[in-house]
Amino acid sequence: MNPSHHHQHCSCCISRRDCLKFLSMSALGAGMVGPALSAAAKEKSRYANPDYVDVAKLLPCPEVRMAAAIFEKPRPYWLGWPGTTYDLDARQKEYKVKLADSSRRLGIKTDLAASPINDEAGVGAFIEKIKVEKPHGVLVILQSIFCWPWLARLSKETGVPLIVFAPIGVAFTGHVLRISRQPGVYVASTLEWSAAEDGMRMLRAKRMFEETRVLWIRQNERKETVMERLGAKVRAIPRDTFNLRFDKQDATTEVRDVASDMRRRAKRIVEPNHNDCINSARAYVTAKRLMADEQANALSMDCLGMVSAKLVPTPPCMSWAMLMDQGITAGCEADLFGAFSLMMTSYLLDRPGFMNDPVPETAKNLLIVAHCTSGTKIRGFNKPAAPYILRNHSESALGVSVQVLWPIGDPVTLVRFSNANEMIIDTGKVISNVQTPPAGGCRTSVEVAMDNVEDCRDVKGFHQVVTHGNHRRMLEAFCQLYDIKVVRSPEHRPEPEAKTA
Amino acid sequence: MSARLQTAGAFILLQTLFAFAADVSFTSPGFPPSQMNAAGRLVEDWGAVGVKLSGEGVTDATPTVVSVKLDNAIPAAQAVSQCGAVALTLTAFRAPAWPLGVDVLTVRVEEKQSRAASVTVALDLPPKALAGLRTIRLSGRPVLTLPPREESGEKPRDWGHYDEASSLAGWAKPAVPCDPAFRNIRAGMGGVPIVYRFAVRPNSRASIVLGFCESHWDHAGQRRMVCKVEGAPPQELDPIAKWGRHKPGALLFDARDEDGDGRIRVVIRSATDAKDRNPILNVIWVFPPGPPPDLQQVIAGQWNAKAKRYVDVGGSNDQPLYPGSKLEYRLSLPARGLQELTFFAACQGGSAPIADASAWTAETLRRAAREVWRDWQER
Repeated sequence: MNPSHHHQHCSCCISRRDCLKFLSMSALGAGMVGPALSAAAKEKSRYANPDYVDVAKLLPCPEVRMAAAIFEKPRPYWLGWPGTTYDLDARQKEYKVKLADSSRRLGIKTDLAASPINDEAGVGAFIEKIKVEKPHGVLVILQSIFCWPWLARLSKETGVPLIVFAPIGVAFTGHVLRISRQPGVYVASTLEWSAAEDGMRMLRAKRMFEETRVLWIRQNERKETVMERLGAKVRAIPRDTFNLRFDKQDATTEVRDVASDMRRRAKRIVEPNHNDCINSARAYVTAKRLMADEQANALSMDCLGMVSAKLVPTPPCMSWAMLMDQGITAGCEADLFGAFSLMMTSYLLDRPGFMNDPVPETAKNLLIVAHCTSGTKIRGFNKPAAPYILRNHSESALGVSVQVLWPIGDPVTLVRFSNANEMIIDTGKVISNVQTPPAGGCRTSVEVAMDNVEDCRDVKGFHQVVTHGNHRRMLEAFCQLYDIKVVRSPEHRPEPEAKTA
Repeated sequence: MSARLQTAGAFILLQTLFAFAADVSFTSPGFPPSQMNAAGRLVEDWGAVGVKLSGEGVTDATPTVVSVKLDNAIPAAQAVSQCGAVALTLTAFRAPAWPLGVDVLTVRVEEKQSRAASVTVALDLPPKALAGLRTIRLSGRPVLTLPPREESGEKPRDWGHYDEASSLAGWAKPAVPCDPAFRNIRAGMGGVPIVYRFAVRPNSRASIVLGFCESHWDHAGQRRMVCKVEGAPPQELDPIAKWGRHKPGALLFDARDEDGDGRIRVVIRSATDAKDRNPILNVIWVFPPGPPPDLQQVIAGQWNAKAKRYVDVGGSNDQPLYPGSKLEYRLSLPARGLQELTFFAACQGGSAPIADASAWTAETLRRAAREVWRDWQER
């Protein structure tokens, strides 16, 4: 089947050409020419194989429509912020250019009102237009301190996610405080346009969730559901589907090239031999083809169960790392909300995450996060990869897994969807990479000093996704925009249990 | 095959066709089906739900039940009845909500005689069904989500509770002299919030006192709650840590109708990481704005007469915000006009979405069904 089938029949998507143009400009696009393979077009001509699947075509490419307007008061300005000296025309020209740039960069179709809105009637007409056109979000560039009441009205009457760019000079704390903490709203009160663009990234990320179909490979059922709030489709398929296809996957030229590439880029190879790497590359190609056939954009598989039943010669750890480096969510152990957490970092933060088992290191009061797969492009899809060592899967001594060496001293964010309506967000700092041996457990194993958590035993969640950098405010803003409850690990240890009679 | 066997086979076939001719099944990929029976009732593993209409010029009618496709993609069952002055159409489809799906039942009533009409739509449910504000439960299982009470056609009272919580009279055992209302509570069993609304002059202020008495736990850190009163900073409360077991206590809030809608909301939720997630509330006093009341005297019941509202929560003078039955909807239809009510029903093994905790809407459920059927291929 043609892997681009989904987008050929899907009327809600932007065109494939537009989509790829957008991807080529975005971090995801840059990541695609990254670690696993060379440029897609080059590959395709090289393999000349009708079954070849270009990973770029697996990524969701949603249409994102955003209405935008500039709110100002009737001119000329006299007293009151931003003040008579504020050059309205110059600032508006500047922000219009920036808005157009961001829209182009993010692949968002922005419909900016032809002229600034400066009275209640104009606001009313803008609201009516939004109600009819139902864009995925609204962005308002504020140009007067007296326009804030219009924003509350806009948010309440349309119910559409609202991004407010309030450049310094149009707000005091009192203006911002309440509305900036209101569900469905994101306020950037700053001169930094990048903060407004962050809001646009949130709209894009949400739409990517909505256009995602994740393959849930486990048990023996075939059905499809849709996840509340996120809107992602979850297609359950029998676990055997994967290993039966893997068995039929030959060591083609593409497979051999992928295997050779993973070995060449490794800082060191400890256990895996050539054949292990071929098998790992077969798993990678199998996963791509399966996603293409099922019109899927992500997957999460009961990999541990397959290894336990000895259905495959290698767990998919390294294959998943390669997919994640190209923006494709590839989750472990059929943990669906773990997969959505990986998707969050990929779609919003343009970088892969590292889904892990949390271990308290009580002597040093650190959290160890450990699993046998992690993306390597942890600083971003378009940034250099972190060094990695090829290892076997530690629990089974099979195949190829990966130890990614996380940069010591760098900040990290831990994110986990507890369910579709709640996200755990914590932050910390990388202290060291744990070696196996002497430690047991998983190959990528990283010590993290938690921020604002007094005792490492109290860190919430399991299979949290660790991602490079401190993204707390961005993730919290996303959650607020889409009314997702944010939870953080307790700063202080809980009250001791009282003895009961 | 003998002629006798052939006759018997044909008889069984005919009987089967007759028995099921009017039942219509519908499903979503990979799910067991639900049915709409010949009487136009939606049949689930927990029982059946139907509707009865009443009103001037409204008559009983036998429905015609057929299979239809919504949006050219979604299999659905539809029961159409011509009920005198109005036409009734019930449409049900399966929405593939993760993990077990939800059936969406739309009740559409349409005026047919070019005269404005008042019609009451009454839900017909299994006898043991318990109605909360927005949820019908059977043996604790949420089986049906009701439309918002605002759609019931009723006018709300000036004040009352507006939640899924339960009233438990005599639950608390205050160990010191105090206002008798401290003996009763409402409890948000299953972690649902306790919500009250009080009508006030738009944008006005009030001093609101909430009274609590914990009589279940004997040590702190169990039932931790967050109390929010509109216009005042939220206060976190662990009644045992603050006052002890069987000890009445009170919190004061400087409330304000912040959004200017002429109502002040009081919401008690469990704290995010509370071990006991069932919030409780014993008493509410609403005082005019002014110097703060003496809380010890309020607890003793000495300020009841000064209160604009004194609510024995879960006790004798408590009341729901909407007075009527939760299972009836009064529709006012203009000539040739129509109105729709949408219900979400638990399908096999599942639960109906809880309105306060779920993001599903009729629109998003329909979109989910449309998108899944659009791309589904049997293998």
